[in-house]
Amino acid sequence: MAQAVREINLPVRKDRPKGQGLGVDKIFLTLVLLFLIVPLGATLIFGLSSGNSINFNTFQSVFTDHDFSQTLLLSLGLALASTILAILLITPTAYWVQLRLPRARPLMDFLALVPFAVPAIVMAFGLVEVYGTGNTLINILSFGLVPVLSNEPFNVVNTPQLLVCAYVIISLPFVYRPIDNNLRAINTKVLSEAAYSLGSGWWRTFLTIILPNILPGVISAALLTFSTVMGEFTLASLFSIYTFPIYLNVTGQNDAHKAASLTILSFFLTMIFVLGIILLVRIRPGSRGNEDRLDIVAAK
Amino acid sequence: MAFLELEHITKYFGRTAAVMDINLSVEQGEFLTLLGPSGCGKTTILRMVAGFETPSNGNILLDGDDITNRSASKRPMGMVFQSYALFPHMNAEQNIAFGLSIKRTPKDVIARRCAELLELVGLGDKGRNFPHQLSGGQQQRVALARALAVEPKVLLLDEPLSALDAKVRVSLRNEIRRIQQQLKMTAIYVTHDQEEALAISDRIAVMARGSIEQLDLPEEIYNNPRTVFAATFVGTSNHFNGLLESASEGLCQVEHQTLHVPPVPNLHDGDRVLVMVRPEEVSVQNSEEGVNVSANGAGNHIAGVIELRTFLGPFTRFHVRVNESTTMTADVPSQQARDYYVAQRVVLSFPPDACQVLPLDKEAVELERLAEAEEEKV
Repeated sequence: MAQAVREINLPVRKDRPKGQGLGVDKIFLTLVLLFLIVPLGATLIFGLSSGNSINFNTFQSVFTDHDFSQTLLLSLGLALASTILAILLITPTAYWVQLRLPRARPLMDFLALVPFAVPAIVMAFGLVEVYGTGNTLINILSFGLVPVLSNEPFNVVNTPQLLVCAYVIISLPFVYRPIDNNLRAINTKVLSEAAYSLGSGWWRTFLTIILPNILPGVISAALLTFSTVMGEFTLASLFSIYTFPIYLNVTGQNDAHKAASLTILSFFLTMIFVLGIILLVRIRPGSRGNEDRLDIVAAK
Repeated sequence: MAFLELEHITKYFGRTAAVMDINLSVEQGEFLTLLGPSGCGKTTILRMVAGFETPSNGNILLDGDDITNRSASKRPMGMVFQSYALFPHMNAEQNIAFGLSIKRTPKDVIARRCAELLELVGLGDKGRNFPHQLSGGQQQRVALARALAVEPKVLLLDEPLSALDAKVRVSLRNEIRRIQQQLKMTAIYVTHDQEEALAISDRIAVMARGSIEQLDLPEEIYNNPRTVFAATFVGTSNHFNGLLESASEGLCQVEHQTLHVPPVPNLHDGDRVLVMVRPEEVSVQNSEEGVNVSANGAGNHIAGVIELRTFLGPFTRFHVRVNESTTMTADVPSQQARDYYVAQRVVLSFPPDACQVLPLDKEAVELERLAEAEEEKV
């Protein structure tokens, strides 16, 4: 077995330039990995230590804490809702702009950058100003929509629904950019025209031809939105909604060890999610990744 | 009424007219090619027929029905694109089946049809391959099969061979023609490649600046071009600007020399004209045999020096400088070309019947320049 492995590896070693066995690349890779792993390891150890001993007490206390599960579920719900809403709104819009309104692309690029330029705190006060103060001019400009949404039974002020809308806005750059890049990369116009000429309508073309081909962009957009919302603090705090990051902050002020354990838990949750998404993308039929893997199997 | 009629079609993009008042009829089962340089409006016409663009003016009639404002997905057209446009996430079979599945065709029928079409385009064993696992030529074959799968009334081909290498281009164009004839499919083919157009078409529409310059059989387009643009754009030619000395006798003054041309009753003495001669009509003689020149009678004889000799397989092309500003091209069967070499003084001869005389107005001069610019690009 060992013999066989050596035989297979030989040509690969031959192809490598000499003197790179302990090359600069490996040193840099190690340094980067250390840079990323050391703080995480330190946080883990800090979370596990209580006094002079290492144990799982803090993790136990986290799991038994009612607020932990409640805030985590709320944040997951908010993240999921924001992700779905953002994707549902932006993906067809980006496709439509790419196909029918290429001139509007600079405007979309600008709009997608605005959330970076406007701090979350400004947005939160803006939303409170719009929905909370009964400004006559705003009421008129919104065709009476703001007063309806500011009062019962449709009140949205300081509700998770409005928070989701705010999250969709702050995630606009993360959603629009990867989707737009993918749309540009796949020759959207010609593929759409090919589908139309075969009798397919706009929606069918979007769902069956365009969407599968921009899936990596959509997934990365979803991933970024989900992660952003899971860690978002300012807006939730100003809306007075008790989400996971706020719980993390409160816990950190009372028990630093527990906060460290929570950080580790949140990191692993995100990592599992990211890995899940990456695997989902790689097993798509017809993707290059799939073909590469087939090639590897064939080579073996 | 023809199967497909374009009536007074005009298309503006902003203030620019891409297509100007085009009238075109395509018969059922006919293979019509729109030939012209880039920007002449040929692709715009095809896109209007496909339904991707709406004409600013005019009507498109298919089998008597006005389809001018019908959406692309509701037109019975199959389109083949220059960039193949295969759906990357579907294999060849799924690509071909796409149009049929939209029509809710039963699965067994789709499977049978896919197999038939893959056989037809010579890719019987490639059904499971994804586009990135196929070569350019194979991808275009799948695209052709996909367009044919929905049994379109008209097959539209937008420069389908431009992205392929020369050898594949020739074999695939013959394939396209064979399949079109086999299925008796009406086809409109867009290309800027004149050789391709001449080889494949029933009729050719030579286009320039949004208008049709000449719509005719390939042989007619080549042998009897009716406009200066058609004469200079299609095929290689020698052309001279001159003044018509005698329209009835067929005498034309070209660069201090009188050329014998066929009588041109539709023109007048003193008209500015373009005289065109195809290189294969020009014969080369050694100038030392000059005594024979006069014996050739009413033919045209021009003395010059061979500047370039290009072996092109069955024939050899000579570029002969006849004066400071003019070179002429002569194609000589390669077996007879052995006696001639660069820097040799020769006499070029061509009969009057080989000359085409075309009126040269201001617009024609501009179009001639356009055609020459295209030729230089090639």
